[in-house]
Amino acid sequence: MSQRMGIATDDGAAALRAESLAKTFHLGFFRKKVEAVKDMSFEVKRGEIFGFLGPNGAGKTTTLKMLMGLIFPSRGRVEVLGLPVPTVSAKRRVGYLPESPYFYDYLTPEEFLDFMGALCDVPSAVRRRRADVLIKRVGLDHARGRPLRKFSKGMLQRVGIAQALVHDPELVILDEPMTGLDPLGRKEIRDLILELKHEGKTVFYSTHILPDVELTCDRVAIVVQGRLRDVGPLSQLLSTRLISTEVVLRVPVAAGDGGAELPLPAGARRLPSAEGLAVELPADGDVDGFLRQALAAGAEVLSVGPRRESLEDLFVREALGGEAAAGREARP
Amino acid sequence: MNRVLAIARNTFREAARNKILYSLLFFAVLLIVSALALGQLSLNEEIRMTKDVGLTGIDFFAVIIAIFVGVNLLYKELDLKTVYTILPKPIRRWEFVLGKWLGILLTLAIQIGIMGLVLSGILVAQGAAPDAAIAKAVWLLFVNVMVVTSVAVLFSSFSSPFLSGFFTFGIFVVGRSVPDVRLLARKLGGAAQAGLEGVTAVIPNLHLFYPSGAIVAAERVSLHRDFVTPAYMLWTSLYGVGYSVLVLGLAMLIFRKRDFV
Repeated sequence: MSQRMGIATDDGAAALRAESLAKTFHLGFFRKKVEAVKDMSFEVKRGEIFGFLGPNGAGKTTTLKMLMGLIFPSRGRVEVLGLPVPTVSAKRRVGYLPESPYFYDYLTPEEFLDFMGALCDVPSAVRRRRADVLIKRVGLDHARGRPLRKFSKGMLQRVGIAQALVHDPELVILDEPMTGLDPLGRKEIRDLILELKHEGKTVFYSTHILPDVELTCDRVAIVVQGRLRDVGPLSQLLSTRLISTEVVLRVPVAAGDGGAELPLPAGARRLPSAEGLAVELPADGDVDGFLRQALAAGAEVLSVGPRRESLEDLFVREALGGEAAAGREARP
Repeated sequence: MNRVLAIARNTFREAARNKILYSLLFFAVLLIVSALALGQLSLNEEIRMTKDVGLTGIDFFAVIIAIFVGVNLLYKELDLKTVYTILPKPIRRWEFVLGKWLGILLTLAIQIGIMGLVLSGILVAQGAAPDAAIAKAVWLLFVNVMVVTSVAVLFSSFSSPFLSGFFTFGIFVVGRSVPDVRLLARKLGGAAQAGLEGVTAVIPNLHLFYPSGAIVAAERVSLHRDFVTPAYMLWTSLYGVGYSVLVLGLAMLIFRKRDFV
């Protein structure tokens, strides 16, 4: 069931629930109103990986801060595992990685994780053991005695993920966890997120790195200009309809330089290609007719590929749709 | 309470690894030791000179350190965004403020303790008998910085370090001059008197913590004679702690309502 703009009804399964969440800031001397988040409702089920997508400035971080009690909502409410936010009992069951984290740079990772564990009331002996395990798990064993001020951005991101896990939380909320990581680091964090799911934890993370979402998330929410545009499994959000068909041909010299003399059907366009002549035909284009014509002209068909909607297409569609809607709202 | 102590321990650790505080402590000790040289300029008043210069040095540097650290205490957490990692942990916001305050008080207590020990060591080296007045005076200076730190923390809960430092120093100067301000109020009379008396009612009476030379219970107290009584110590300490708790409570309320954008 796709849950466009809706809330699922299974109360027992909710790891996180936001109801009509809104935040309005009053900025500057004239207290100018800025609506960062508008009437946002969604639910994250226990044990799933939930991606929170949106372009920069869409309201992702503001929403996450409301989930963690760092910002108070102007309207609406948040529940974590059935507990209201912000309460100590709710926070005890959640691990959080802030965006671009900065930590006490005079501490070593061991000292820092011990401090974070103490804040979560983890007993001293357990803290030491967990710190040791987590340092190895996030790949920082070689730097455990080094102060954090000597860490790169990617290493700090790993420390941030370790501190989010130090009290073994049921729900892990990560704000842009892939930021600052190289491709190998991104893969490691992706694998870690999948491991957390296999351990039965719920992972909620914000990002705008779409390939990571496609590889990890069970469900996603897309937020644009403070509004939730879509919520649901990727397979249901992405349209299965054909967008276009891409045909790549090797054309003989007689058909003109690069197939310049080969007539294209209405709505078709040439694509840049290193292999030969690449043509994109519209969804309702006559592919068979074009292929017959090309073969008759002596061309060799290298590939014929249907193109359906990708997450990037959906993201762009929603982002542009949001901007267009905002433009319409702004017009008198 | 464990969470508060964890914050306090980390705040102390941060101060202990801060080179600026070591520099200030070094200069404070240097000033106290320089009392030895100044004593040579006075005639048979070396010990008196050491006490006066030494305690002035402790007072000055302890207040400078208290303002410097106090105004940065919460602001630094916001500016460096470390608060975004701490507050999502299962900790209440007031526990965070209390932990920071306790950590900085521990730092100040150790610094003032070191300065007091250096001063006492110099006095003993000069041939003075161990003196309870110095211990009492050093304790009062500690209560004094407790109040100043609390005021600094209050300002830092909603203002920049520069403004917080400016206001805290202003309150320190006026607070130390409360008897003079009251005298001025009586001389001016009328609305000015009411206004100034209102100010002295709100601002902490920091003069209580540096009473040498003042009239207390119709008697002039002096470090060099009988210093203040145990009852004075008790009531002044209670006043300092009470004022600090009140101001810190206000800082906690402001911090509790803040959005950390």
